[in-house]
Amino acid sequence: MSAASGRFFCTAGRGLEPFLAREVRARLGATEVDCVSGKVFFRAAAGLGELRQLRSGERLFLLLKKHGPLPVSGSRGKMLNEIKSLVIEDSKYWLDIISVWRKFHGHKGKTDNSSQENTSALKRKSEEETNTASKRQKTEQVRAIVSEECQVGAGETCESSDRMNRQECWIESRTSSEFPSRGSGEDPAANEELSFRVSCRCSGAIARILTSQEVGRAIGMALVKQCGWHADLRDPDVEIFVHLNDIYSVVGIPLFRLPLANREYIRTAGLRSTVAWAMASLAEIRAGALVLDPMCGLGMILLEAAKEWPEAYYWGADISDSQLEGADGNIRAAGFMDKIELLKASVKALPLPSESFDSVISDIPFGKKFKTTSDAQFLPDILQEMERVLRVGGTLVLLLSQELHKHVDGLTRCAGADPADGDSGAVPARAMDGLTRCAEGASADGDSGADPSVDGNLSSLAQGGGEPIICRHFGSLLPEDVYAISLGKTDAFIHKYRKVSAAVSSRTGTGSCPNTGTLPGTGSSGLKELES
Amino acid sequence: MKLLTHNLLSSHVPGLRPGGGFPLRIEAAEVRERPVPFNAAFVSRLVPRLRWDALREAAESLGRPSELPPEPTPGYEADEEFLRRLHHVLLEVEVLEGSLQCPDSGRRFPISRGVPNLLLTEDEA
Repeated sequence: MSAASGRFFCTAGRGLEPFLAREVRARLGATEVDCVSGKVFFRAAAGLGELRQLRSGERLFLLLKKHGPLPVSGSRGKMLNEIKSLVIEDSKYWLDIISVWRKFHGHKGKTDNSSQENTSALKRKSEEETNTASKRQKTEQVRAIVSEECQVGAGETCESSDRMNRQECWIESRTSSEFPSRGSGEDPAANEELSFRVSCRCSGAIARILTSQEVGRAIGMALVKQCGWHADLRDPDVEIFVHLNDIYSVVGIPLFRLPLANREYIRTAGLRSTVAWAMASLAEIRAGALVLDPMCGLGMILLEAAKEWPEAYYWGADISDSQLEGADGNIRAAGFMDKIELLKASVKALPLPSESFDSVISDIPFGKKFKTTSDAQFLPDILQEMERVLRVGGTLVLLLSQELHKHVDGLTRCAGADPADGDSGAVPARAMDGLTRCAEGASADGDSGADPSVDGNLSSLAQGGGEPIICRHFGSLLPEDVYAISLGKTDAFIHKYRKVSAAVSSRTGTGSCPNTGTLPGTGSSGLKELES
Repeated sequence: MKLLTHNLLSSHVPGLRPGGGFPLRIEAAEVRERPVPFNAAFVSRLVPRLRWDALREAAESLGRPSELPPEPTPGYEADEEFLRRLHHVLLEVEVLEGSLQCPDSGRRFPISRGVPNLLLTEDEA
């Protein structure tokens, strides 16, 4: 039975929008894909099962309304009326919406039981050896549950009045008694005895005049009057999501109770699954590939990769027993014992032969894991080993903190790079192009300016950036892509490299720079080529 | 540790002559065999990536003569019986407890609960 075509939108962590846009096209055959900061809108003929498989999005919604921004006037009353008009429609409209929504959900909308188990999947192992990377991730995980839509661009202010304060979004139900639930002039058939809740977010100019709570209340009242539903803050059948900002006015209904990022196949979460999947998606994993994560931690990247690209084989290495135990537990819980193998080994001295892997993918820990003042000191050793075990033509995908990102930029360009040389600026520029094209209209989007390292780095190249930056071994790592992403509290960068030729790697530091050659076609990572 | 993994592992004790760290000699205390779904195309793709002699040696050392030919024969891609034997040796045999010994230096690396520990001490590294 083929699904009818529907309009949806899916929220995304900042920076992951291009990945999500590509994914909805590839996985769901989506059309009318429209990417804004933090959201991807699309149309697709897909059932709940297929939609559930989206890996780079946060929450998925049925799109009800998408308009331009609400005109802001001095009159609050006028604005509230405008807002109410977003949900006031003829009675058939809401009947239709509910029946569409029911088709997705079956009876009563509480069918998403498999996701309920995921709340336990989020319990974290706290152990002595948890490095700050895990702590950071844990904070993100909690924040993300609370308000994953709260990952705003620089231009927006976040009113954290969604999940945490949702009681305030809809005043106690005594207010609803002001409006008879079966009003005159309203089609009794619209009274589905449905319970609902409004989750509202306002930012930008509108938020200066009205609070999210007021807006939510106004909409809630309008819905009660319109449809005869009753409000239930704790466990509603239907949630109505309203987002008003300077760029758009959006109304939607979430399709799942828990974020898509909660994976039922992952027991103990580490790095956010959406980011892990996005990294794996850059690695070009083909059937028969041998893939290594030499700092695997709890194995998030390997799990996402093995789930999506099962025709390859995966190895994870880590120096920490507790991390390896956690990874082992995750692998068993996911049933991937025949796809992923673990080693206790150090990324600085990998017990693996040269040129044996097709892809190396890793989240480089941000904290002081190596008991030194700066992780960046170890970066060359880490990169050296990763590059060594990679076969020519293989891909390297790394997640780096801002600090490490600056150092890596220096290491994988040759020391002789001329700031005026188009190539040395080429990679970040392309990535930023992709981001700015995608985040249409988000003119104040922090991301476009978020890579100060382009300029900052070139000067650090000249000054040495605190560490001698030499074209040592890394001439053979050709930078292909950089994506600035948000991990909640911090920003991070996904770097993709391709190993071009061991022969080119320059120990002599002659500065022969492979970057001056033609960059390999980026067709495979068509993430930047977004058609709107 | 499956034999596919063993086929990739080499000792990196400093000061070895080139190639002196491979293959690691398996001393198995506990071995397990577990069925794994067979995927002919997948196994076939692994063939060119394998160090064949080391694989045969490893299987022999576990008392599981692998019935594998001295070399993959041309046309192996279509030889299901060959692929199934290879599949068995690579993926269905696991060393759970034991150690791996570096051929040149003699250094032993323990395997515990299926995970080989190849960390060098600070002195060694």
